[in-house]
Amino acid sequence: MKARREAPAPPVALFAALCGLAPLVAMAVVSVARIEDYTLALDLRAWREVAASPVMRGLIGQAVFYGAILACLTPLAAYPIALALARTPMAWKWLGAVVLLTPLYTGEIVRIYAWRLMLGAQGLINAALGWAGLIEAPVQALLYTRLSALIVMFYNTLPFMVLAIWAAVEAFDRRLAEAARDLGASPWVVFRRVTLPLTRVGLFAGMGVVFALGAGDALTPALMGGANGATAMSMIESLFGAAFDWPLASALGLALMLTLAGCVAALTLLAGRARRSARRSARRRGKI
Amino acid sequence: MRARDWRVLALAAAYLYLPILVLSLFAFSDDAVIAFPITGLTLRWFGALAGNAAFLDGFATSMTIAIPVGAISALGGLAAALALRGATLRPRAAWWAAPFAALLLAPFLTPRTVLAVAQSMALSELGLRRGMAVLGAAQVLVILPFTTALLTAALLRVDPRLEEAGRDLGAGPWACFQRVTLPLVRGPLMAACSAGMILSLADVTLATFLAGRAQPLSVVVASEFMREMRPDLNAMQVVVLSVTALAVALAALWRRRR
Repeated sequence: MKARREAPAPPVALFAALCGLAPLVAMAVVSVARIEDYTLALDLRAWREVAASPVMRGLIGQAVFYGAILACLTPLAAYPIALALARTPMAWKWLGAVVLLTPLYTGEIVRIYAWRLMLGAQGLINAALGWAGLIEAPVQALLYTRLSALIVMFYNTLPFMVLAIWAAVEAFDRRLAEAARDLGASPWVVFRRVTLPLTRVGLFAGMGVVFALGAGDALTPALMGGANGATAMSMIESLFGAAFDWPLASALGLALMLTLAGCVAALTLLAGRARRSARRSARRRGKI
Repeated sequence: MRARDWRVLALAAAYLYLPILVLSLFAFSDDAVIAFPITGLTLRWFGALAGNAAFLDGFATSMTIAIPVGAISALGGLAAALALRGATLRPRAAWWAAPFAALLLAPFLTPRTVLAVAQSMALSELGLRRGMAVLGAAQVLVILPFTTALLTAALLRVDPRLEEAGRDLGAGPWACFQRVTLPLVRGPLMAACSAGMILSLADVTLATFLAGRAQPLSVVVASEFMREMRPDLNAMQVVVLSVTALAVALAALWRRRR
């Protein structure tokens, strides 16, 4: 019985290891290997080049910056939506999920294209602002800047954050929040002292996903960012394709991955510490 | 449920759907220049689409890849979900559950470009050709976490006592799966299948690197987008959106009928 339950896991794990893990290991080998007289030799040139290049370090930093901004901003919009979704009657929840998920299924390209129509000089936002008499000339800063890339990435990642927080809100006993309200706490205090601590796991999970998606998105900056559209990913692509420098492309790719993984690990650590300290202070309060 | 909740949800829905509505509106705009205000309405962009061979070929290629990818990621997701549910039912024996989940999740969290470049390198080192099969495998890899999450949630709602009853009444493990578990998750399984299909249709980055000579629709459209915005591209996106919406609606119906 015990073995049977786990039986489906190995084939799937094998597939993931073969198609996902193995290529990344191969990439790591490529980044440090050099063929010399028909034998493999260790060569750290690519890694040294990445470490020495201000451009590459800057692009990795930019990826972290995009990811961090999105991870911090999306919860502000996601919490009200998730709390409202959690309070919808059971029969309507599936509709909420469909409404939330459908934009996710439209291709990245469709979404980027749609936002070009929104943000362009002749787009909806400028047309509306001009019609309202708020501006005389169209606002050009809305399209083909870092800001426009961020606007679209926010739109792309928000549903993931809502899903993560929504799941956490559904899991906690909302009578606790109601009890806090009955005992006279204001809505903000209830949120800060009850809802937020009890949904922290969902929040941190959502932040991790949104961070990874925002930092790893090459398409949106390339199509929306204009002159600032270069990303670490686009540089890896051109090193791999046009420049044919595989070791450098590999080293940059792995440096990016390690940096991102380091950030997510730090976030996880932070989450663990926050949970422990919350438990400790709860215990202390309990003793008093 | 308070009035304020409805207002929040209405606002969120408006935000999520406004860009898509604007896009759809322009597909029917008579003016070749994409700008407000819209002067007249027409269907001619959809007509132009039917004569565009690159789009039609791309659409055929995309569907050829998307249908098996949807089916395989649903079945793989079901296998992974069964294993993970087994782990939650007997957490003591399930030391492997966390590394297993991490292994599944890692490709989804790796930047797509890095994953695709790594796979391209591995393929050429092995001397393998790029093409639809390779692209399909790569897409299944990044879609599996979605289908696994969907089906794990569905399986956790299945009462394990139903399966135990089946076993007690003498059904073997396969018969028990086929006659008890599978019918109970058939709806979510179909939903996972169409989600996988849709995500495969939407993928651009992996296809750019791994499609080889086969050019799926998303790649064709992406290369057009780099240059300009055109009304027939709008019409194209409306067609893609309609297919997507249809698949989502069918999936929702299947889930409801569970």
